[in-house]
Amino acid sequence: MSEMIPRLVGQRVKRVEDPRLLTGRGEYVDDVHLPRMLHVALLRSSVAHARIVGIDTAAAAELPGVHLVVTADDLRDRVQPIVCDILPPGAWQTSAYPILADGKVRFVGEPVVAVVADSRYVAEDALEAIGVSYEELPPVMTVTAAEAGPETQVHEAWDEAWFTHKQLRVGDIDRVFAEAAGVTRRSVEVGRHTGMPLETRAIIADYNPSSNALTVHMTTQMPHIMRTGLADHLGMPEHQIRVISKDVGGGFGVKAELYPEDILVSHLATRLGRPVSWVEDRREHLLGTIHAREHFYELEAAWDESGRILAVRAEIRVDGGAYSVYPYSASMEPGMAMGVLTGMYDVPVYHADSWAIATNKTPLGPYRGVARPSACFAMERLMDAVAHDTGIDPLELRRRNLVRADQMPHTTPSGLEYDSGDFEATFRKAAEILDYDATREQQEELRGEGRYLGIGVGSYVEQTAHGAAEFVKRGLPVIFGYDTSRIRIDASGNVLVHPTSHSHGQGHETTIAQVVADALGIEIERIRVVYGDTQDVAYGSGTLGSRSMVMAGGAAHLAAVELRDRLVRIAAHNLEVDPGDLEVADGEVRVKGSPATAVAITEIARWAHHRPERIPSDLEPTLEVTSSYGAPPGTGAFSHAVHMALVEVDPALGTVQVLRYVVAEDCGRIVNPMIVDGQVTGGVAQGLGGALLEEIVHDAEGQPLTTSLLDYLWPTAHDVPFVEIGHLESLSPFTIGGIKGMGEGGAIAPGAVIAGAVEDAMRPLGGGFVRKVPLTPERVLNLLNVDPTGRVPESHEENQK
Amino acid sequence: MKPPPFDYTAPRSLGEALRALADAAGDGKVIAGGQSLVPLMNFRFARPGLLVDVNRIPELTGIRRRDGELRIGATTRQADAEQSGIIARGWPLLRQALPHVAHQQIRNRGTVGGSVAHADPAAEICSVLLAYGGRVEVASVRGVREIDASDLFVGQFVTTIEADEILTAVVVPPPPAGTGTAFHEVARRHGDFALAGAAAAVTTDDRGRCERASLCLLGAAPTPIRRAAAEAHLVGNELTDAVLAEAVALATADIEPPSDVHGSSAYRTRAAREMAARALTEAFARSARDRGQRKEAS
Amino acid sequence: MRVEINLNGKPFAADVEPRMLLSDFIRHEACLTGTHVGCEQGGCGACTIQVDGRAVRSCLLFAIQVDGSTVRTVEALSDERDGALHPLQEAFRECHGLQCGFCTPGFLMSLEPALASGPLDDEQAIRDAISGNICRCTGYAGIVDAVRHASNTIWNDPDIGTVDDLGSLGEDAPRSGAGDE
Ligand SMILES: Cc1cc2nc3c(=O)[nH]c(=O)nc-3n(C[C@H](O)[C@H](O)[C@H](O)COP(=O)(O)OP(=O)(O)OC[C@H]3O[C@@H](n4cnc5c(N)ncnc54)[C@H](O)[C@@H]3O)c2cc1C
Ligand code: FES
Ligand code: FES
Repeated sequence: MSEMIPRLVGQRVKRVEDPRLLTGRGEYVDDVHLPRMLHVALLRSSVAHARIVGIDTAAAAELPGVHLVVTADDLRDRVQPIVCDILPPGAWQTSAYPILADGKVRFVGEPVVAVVADSRYVAEDALEAIGVSYEELPPVMTVTAAEAGPETQVHEAWDEAWFTHKQLRVGDIDRVFAEAAGVTRRSVEVGRHTGMPLETRAIIADYNPSSNALTVHMTTQMPHIMRTGLADHLGMPEHQIRVISKDVGGGFGVKAELYPEDILVSHLATRLGRPVSWVEDRREHLLGTIHAREHFYELEAAWDESGRILAVRAEIRVDGGAYSVYPYSASMEPGMAMGVLTGMYDVPVYHADSWAIATNKTPLGPYRGVARPSACFAMERLMDAVAHDTGIDPLELRRRNLVRADQMPHTTPSGLEYDSGDFEATFRKAAEILDYDATREQQEELRGEGRYLGIGVGSYVEQTAHGAAEFVKRGLPVIFGYDTSRIRIDASGNVLVHPTSHSHGQGHETTIAQVVADALGIEIERIRVVYGDTQDVAYGSGTLGSRSMVMAGGAAHLAAVELRDRLVRIAAHNLEVDPGDLEVADGEVRVKGSPATAVAITEIARWAHHRPERIPSDLEPTLEVTSSYGAPPGTGAFSHAVHMALVEVDPALGTVQVLRYVVAEDCGRIVNPMIVDGQVTGGVAQGLGGALLEEIVHDAEGQPLTTSLLDYLWPTAHDVPFVEIGHLESLSPFTIGGIKGMGEGGAIAPGAVIAGAVEDAMRPLGGGFVRKVPLTPERVLNLLNVDPTGRVPESHEENQK
Repeated sequence: MKPPPFDYTAPRSLGEALRALADAAGDGKVIAGGQSLVPLMNFRFARPGLLVDVNRIPELTGIRRRDGELRIGATTRQADAEQSGIIARGWPLLRQALPHVAHQQIRNRGTVGGSVAHADPAAEICSVLLAYGGRVEVASVRGVREIDASDLFVGQFVTTIEADEILTAVVVPPPPAGTGTAFHEVARRHGDFALAGAAAAVTTDDRGRCERASLCLLGAAPTPIRRAAAEAHLVGNELTDAVLAEAVALATADIEPPSDVHGSSAYRTRAAREMAARALTEAFARSARDRGQRKEAS
Repeated sequence: MRVEINLNGKPFAADVEPRMLLSDFIRHEACLTGTHVGCEQGGCGACTIQVDGRAVRSCLLFAIQVDGSTVRTVEALSDERDGALHPLQEAFRECHGLQCGFCTPGFLMSLEPALASGPLDDEQAIRDAISGNICRCTGYAGIVDAVRHASNTIWNDPDIGTVDDLGSLGEDAPRSGAGDE
């Protein structure tokens, strides 16, 4: 593997993309104005579960300014529904997510009719003129109801309620439980919430009949995968499709799927021969963009006298919503939850069952952290419960159960191969930043004054930059095994980099340029990173799973190193020295130890393009290299972190104020500390949203009650404290430069940490076990009616909902 | 989320506006700050045929003291009321409540009159108006009239202002010297509509006994509500724990706040009790402090 | 209906339906796409612009309502400086106050008038000033830092001049009395 010699890597380099974004010159999809462009509005299902008896679009089609009204009937045989099955083997039942509802609707918000009109205003007028008659079916709104065998399954052909059921069996669990000093049992759950990027989804499709080419501007984190998805579902050759995704206003996972609207709008553009635009509004976003979390856990831990966890048994149920989403399938959430549950803890014996269960809700998919925030919540709740049952301090209990540094590399019971890390040190660091012992004293003191503070602790190991090996294991139909970067040095010596990773806030224009600048020995100002156009670079996965710096950054490093070698060979040829005697730095290639003998890279670049006679005969002219990188062996690089929080609860109102939030994290080599801190803080903010504010709620009839920003509450500046961050850097042995992935991490632990902190604060008042987030003020007050083992007295069940 | 079509007029005088509204025969709607109306139109929950924009009518704006009373023109921005010295000095309860109304950019546009006319059960300004025993002036082509705050709010988003009437000003009498006020609310996030809240104004005598009390709850019922029984219980008493407990019990015994995703009726009832207790306690304390200060001065 | 405004110092006019939102007018009629739309419900602040000097949400105004007004959008900040960044923009860059950048124009438009009227360096006051703007990416830390940073730059700059301590007024005291007569 080629070495990385950090110069700019590791520095707090200001972001290259900022001036553009700060002056309002970003180019987001809805900023693209094309001549003759038409606008789409969608009529979405108003009921959760029904047969469609009839659709009357006649009046809508008559309205001035309306160009086309389409239903499923108009799409049949022209586009394919979205089917995302796991690769065999595995227990699996398939679902087909129609582009427009075909005969049946399965969740409120499912697209039923599309109107194309001169403006979005007119298109929405037309929606009001459409009549749809439904024959309503009893909706399946909970996993419990689904498992009980409802009258009408969400998918009628199914034998069971689930998309998938997976099992894991490691060790003789019955024996361990029988012999254990004690057993702790809890059930916990994480509410449904979602990514909510500030920019909603948007698509502009532009079909050129003369070249038979379709250009699709879309808000996506993965342009190449989208191109393949569009080709497959439109029945169009992939080389006729170009996907462009320039500036994207946040993604967090919810813009990394192929959605019905993507196929629909592309189809409409080809059909009409005009550019067609659809911009999701916030209401649609809350209804139609994937939701996340909503996990239910039944947990048991067996422990010895010293509080060592001997075995864990888990049942994990995920409310998967109505359809399996492309390209992850409904299996990703339960599978990952089961795989990562034990986290930093050394649990030798582990049995788990996991299911993704279909309900009449919006399909569920990955959001920052994917299954980890839920799994972390479950495991850390269990640790807090064991701490309670054993009477051991929660921090001490966790320390006793950590996988130790001398156990690295370590294979977990679920088969994850932790590459490196000193978890104990990370715990120490977090405790040090918080000043754990002093904070405990402060807590005690303030209780005397009637103030209720609580401390929460949580940790996780985050498999990042999963390579091929991991995705094969998951059975995903699309294996995100690698990413690609293409680098060109032009005749003037400037560098153009096209990575396949996409930036929607992560700052790749800066960090990838830092990597390339170091490899090429030139200043960052000469490097331009352009992403988001499938035309620019061969193929890659895009930005998901905290992979970009490792994968696309690694690929950029490899391509740059190859280019550097070429520069060196051209220089050696002209200086008549051995290439081994040369080094690259400060924009020139020079003789080691005798820096006066040097050629500027600009000069070499000129030769490579205009002076073929100066190039060694076995080298091609021009300077362009494309490299792909998959971080072999593809088992992933493991970042980890410990979070701690100090909260204050108003016990009369149940309101929670987060006074301090501490993160000690290790993501291997840090490329840009400013960006890493920004990602951590942003992740924590989203995690705090899920811990305290954000929840998608449905009533018994399947109506979502959180379809506006009055109901779905994302954190404001008042809800997120400054996050105090400490870093450790244990380099991954598997990746270039020892970089590990990061980005999702901050969002993983806050649910667990806040739950622990609130429980801690409420305990002196008789507060019980926290089993669910988000902790609304009401749920906090209701803790006073919950016993420490998590049982809710019957009369209070209602309020717990 | 685009609004349905409508006709629009922005008259320069009240007379023209009233005429336009009358001619629209019930299909017209006043737009002031638009901070409540426009979202409703974007969702297509509201679809007026004609919008009468009252923002260009000069006589509808401004804060002044007249005959000792506070008179706030209907289209005065909430942000201007927040910055007003007249209000801060003379009607502190209003000043205390205003920062809880949404956020700066919304207060920059939203109007005092619009908030009152919109009559959200959790609107801070409505509850303060009621707590101060204020009134509104309304006009139509049929003439002008005043409506006492106690007769104004009749249901959730429903007032006794007729469809052809325009609210022209909010009028608040001066609180007696030595009045202490306090505003407390609990919301999911700062700036959200309150889950429960209380506005209190208390005047005490030299010995700390209550001479006059006013307590209004917001978010506890379809309208903001004055709690006369609690007020009566306070008058003549010092604020002992027992008196406070009884007053709070009287204030909240019969409330049935609505349930929604943010909290059940039971939670809101409990929160209302807490808010009432905190507001009363603080109002008594402020009244005492104010009395002390005046004594020192004299 | 005809809407004529002064947009970033230049006249702009177009014929639009009364129902056209000001956000759409700016973005799709005037083609100034720096102003973003995140909700059209008044719940995110991405669309914040200035009308006659005040920060307001452009998704909650009809274009026709601002006929004759002065409208200022994010593009003005650097246009007025021949492309150089405003101190506030510099501070956002310095303090990593943005990630995806979608919320940023709204924050800048909210903050510019707030900073122009006096120093803004108290954490709570900063958080109050930006509570109506949602940022989903940054967790606000970089933004709060940036405001402090910008406040220091602007108010300690001898060319700009200092002002009396406006932060010293009591809880209930007025700050400007703008609406009083
Ligand atoms: C995100 C967000 C958060 C908010 N949070 C709060 C909050 O916490 N507390 C709160 O109180 N408010 C809140 N609001 C609402 C805000 O305060 C509005 O400004 C206020 O409710 C209405 O005032 P307006 O001037 O904007 O009225 P408009 O929206 O213009 O009008 C509202 C209604 O009143 C009628 N109306 C307005 N003026 C008159 C008049 N002069 N005569 C007759 N009828 C009239 C209109 O026809 C309409 O029916 C929030 C708004 C938003 C968007
Ligand atoms: S778009 Fe205007 S507030 Fe969100
Ligand atoms: S930077 Fe993305 S929303 Fe603020």
